[in-house]
Amino acid sequence: MTTIPLEAYLTLSLVLFGLGVFGMIVRRNMVTILMSMELALNAVNVLFVGADAHLSLVDGQVFALFVIALAAAEAAVGLGIIIAIFRLRRVDSTDEITDMRG
Amino acid sequence: MIQWLVFLLFSALAVVSALGVVLLANPIYVILSLLSVLVAIAGIFFVAGAELVGALQLLIYVVAVTVFYVFVLTAVPWEKALKKDSHYRVEGLLSFPLIPLLYAEMLLVFLVGVSVSPKGEFRGLMQKFGNVEVIGGILFSKYFLAFELVSLVLLIGMIGAVIIGRKEAQTYDNHTS
Amino acid sequence: MEVLILLSPLIAFLLIALFGARIGDMASALLCVLGGAFSFLFSLWATSRALSEPFSVKLYDFLPLDAYNLSLGLFFDPLSSVTASVVTFVATVIFIYSIGYMHNLFGQWTFKFYAYLSLFLFAMLLIVLSDNLLGIFFGWEGVGLASYLLIGYFHTQKKASNASLEAFVLNRVGDWFFLFGIVASFYLFGSLSILDIFARVSQVDKALLGLACLLLFGGAVGKSGQLPLHTWLPNAMAGPTPVSALLHAATMVAAGVYMVARLYPMFESAPESLRVVALVGGLTALFAALAATSHTDIKKIIAFSTMSQLGLMFLALGLGDRMSAMFHLTTHAFFKALLFLSAGSVIHAFHHHVHYIYETGRLKRYMPITYASFLVGALALAGIFPFSGFWSKDLIVATAYEKSFLWGVLVSVVSFMTAYYIFREGFVMFHGKEHFRHEQKEEPHESPSVMVVPMLVLSVMAVVAGFFEGWYGGILGVHKELHVDIAVLSVVVGLAGILVAYLVYVKGLIDPQKAYEALKPLHTTLKEQFFTERFYHKVLAGGYLFYSKVIYMTAERQLIDGVVNFTYPAVKGVGGVFRLLQAGRLNLYAFFMAFGFLMLLFITIFWR
Repeated sequence: MTTIPLEAYLTLSLVLFGLGVFGMIVRRNMVTILMSMELALNAVNVLFVGADAHLSLVDGQVFALFVIALAAAEAAVGLGIIIAIFRLRRVDSTDEITDMRG
Repeated sequence: MIQWLVFLLFSALAVVSALGVVLLANPIYVILSLLSVLVAIAGIFFVAGAELVGALQLLIYVVAVTVFYVFVLTAVPWEKALKKDSHYRVEGLLSFPLIPLLYAEMLLVFLVGVSVSPKGEFRGLMQKFGNVEVIGGILFSKYFLAFELVSLVLLIGMIGAVIIGRKEAQTYDNHTS
Repeated sequence: MEVLILLSPLIAFLLIALFGARIGDMASALLCVLGGAFSFLFSLWATSRALSEPFSVKLYDFLPLDAYNLSLGLFFDPLSSVTASVVTFVATVIFIYSIGYMHNLFGQWTFKFYAYLSLFLFAMLLIVLSDNLLGIFFGWEGVGLASYLLIGYFHTQKKASNASLEAFVLNRVGDWFFLFGIVASFYLFGSLSILDIFARVSQVDKALLGLACLLLFGGAVGKSGQLPLHTWLPNAMAGPTPVSALLHAATMVAAGVYMVARLYPMFESAPESLRVVALVGGLTALFAALAATSHTDIKKIIAFSTMSQLGLMFLALGLGDRMSAMFHLTTHAFFKALLFLSAGSVIHAFHHHVHYIYETGRLKRYMPITYASFLVGALALAGIFPFSGFWSKDLIVATAYEKSFLWGVLVSVVSFMTAYYIFREGFVMFHGKEHFRHEQKEEPHESPSVMVVPMLVLSVMAVVAGFFEGWYGGILGVHKELHVDIAVLSVVVGLAGILVAYLVYVKGLIDPQKAYEALKPLHTTLKEQFFTERFYHKVLAGGYLFYSKVIYMTAERQLIDGVVNFTYPAVKGVGGVFRLLQAGRLNLYAFFMAFGFLMLLFITIFWR
């Protein structure tokens, strides 16, 4: 069980998280932005579980469960918002909704 | 040794699929890549010995959430996304140096952090009971309040999603159109 | 009971101020007169007690300090009670007169005028009767306020409002000195009560006492219109004539002389300060008499005469003769009030349109009683036997000659000029040619009896007051012999002045107009009061105004406004830069968030 070192989990989580952030920045479609966010959340989960395996704890797994639950809620609300925006404006790309421009 | 092999396999799959999530243009391919990432991560959970989290990952993420995304993609005409550029070029270039920097800094933090991390005390419990029992026990004792709060958040999220996503009432339509 | 002397004008003031609009102008005037009359009766009663035994009345503790309890109170001794009686008597007579004088203005909020008059009287009585310096200061400021309000009563005239401001500002200068004098006295004596001060006056440091006296005298200079704070006094003639009479006869300007006399033990212990008092008084007497000879404004001539007479009083005080100064103040109150009332009667006859003596003429025919009153006042002012001015002025002349021949000559010269200028005014107004025909078709007529009776009363007083000289000296504990040679001299000098005026203005021996043209530079110099007024207005006030304008144009308009105006483009520019960050683009926000997170991480890692 302990043959895989913590550094491996860390590295994997890091790579996934960075890609998630990068995706959030560069993606144009709102749905794909949400998907990038799921990627980042999963990276965090990997970190939680990996640290648990390293430390022989279970608290991290509990938090991973919470993260999964919250990610589900976030996806539900976020996608609901996207659908509402689409119905109102007929747009699905972030550069077409710049009402917050100062 | 076999563990290492499986871990590396799933890791490679996760990273490659994540690249696909970020880089592919077609939303359908993106969602398939995301599915692949989620499955690979579930595999990594199993490898790490977190069976419950892995199973729930498969159940909630791979099935429920992904289906959700597919539904939304069908509601929003994704073909339109193909006509335009699917990525911001300038922002991509701008943020590209950000990512290695992020990697470098976090790596530093992690490596410093690992060297000072304590050793755990749940090993005995884990061997005595199964992983699921231990998590269940701690979830309903130590983290009970948090658990209830999460369930409340889920409920609210569900209600919110329903309210936001439903078809607008007739009167409201008249006002906005 | 004695408090009622103070309270009756105060109550009159409050009633008129609060209900004047409701009860009407006439009722207000009557209230004002009643307040003055009651005050006069009470002061007579207090005088009768004070003559036998001085006493003081404590009013209340104003400031209970640790070491010293500062209480306000009244002090009645012969000096203060007699002065209070004179003040209230003259004031009451003037109040009655003002009913006739202001009658044409009734219905135009004239009750304000009577409220101010009552306040004026109250403040003056506070000065006269207070037993400590602080009470005197309260009255001092009250008199300043009331005079400001009254001089500027015709506030629609630019001249009047300017004059009131000038009076106020110049009085502030004097009050500033006075306040510092009070502080210095408190520092020296540890007490403000004048009785305490008199008891300890010989124990304190002479130099500091002299300084305190000079500071207090500075206040008197401001209030009594002496050099160099004199310019407000002639300009104060812009107020209604009863105000001028009140100001000059009984209240405002007398306050300075009275204050010095009241604190005389202090001044006596510091003889150096008395020398300054004498010098200022003598210079002012000469200066004002010179200015009076060249002016043509009916009231300004009398105003300069007041300045001159006050200068004589200060001279007497400075020469160590308190009794004659105070006696002259008393008789002066009667005949100067009389002169002003007569002048007011003339002005009233011309419906307040005439202000210069050459616009009148030959009024003897139309206004015999006014003429007689003016004549009595003028004779008293000139010091002709047996009018009251003779007795009091004679005392001053005698004192001056006793001290030094130079002072005596100065006083004689002033007396000569006094007789000359007052009879010049009288002859031009009541004799000579009629100059008013082109101004006014109808003939001027005698004033109503409400104005004539006060004038007659004052005439009687101006004649008989002099005979109380021995009595007055007795109550002040001073007895002075009448020097026959000096008395004859001063009468001759006075008659000489009258004669010159008669020859010039009635007989026309010299044509005044030609004389003016020939002596134009001298005439202008005198008329402009040796250019002091012009100097104050142009150089001091004008210079300050110029300085303020320069400051306004540079510091205000350029610096402060510049800074204020610059904030707008500065804020706009900075905001424009930050505005670019708020592009409303979701992915940019994510980028900034990641960037910020990175920076925070960077700081937490490398911040050691």
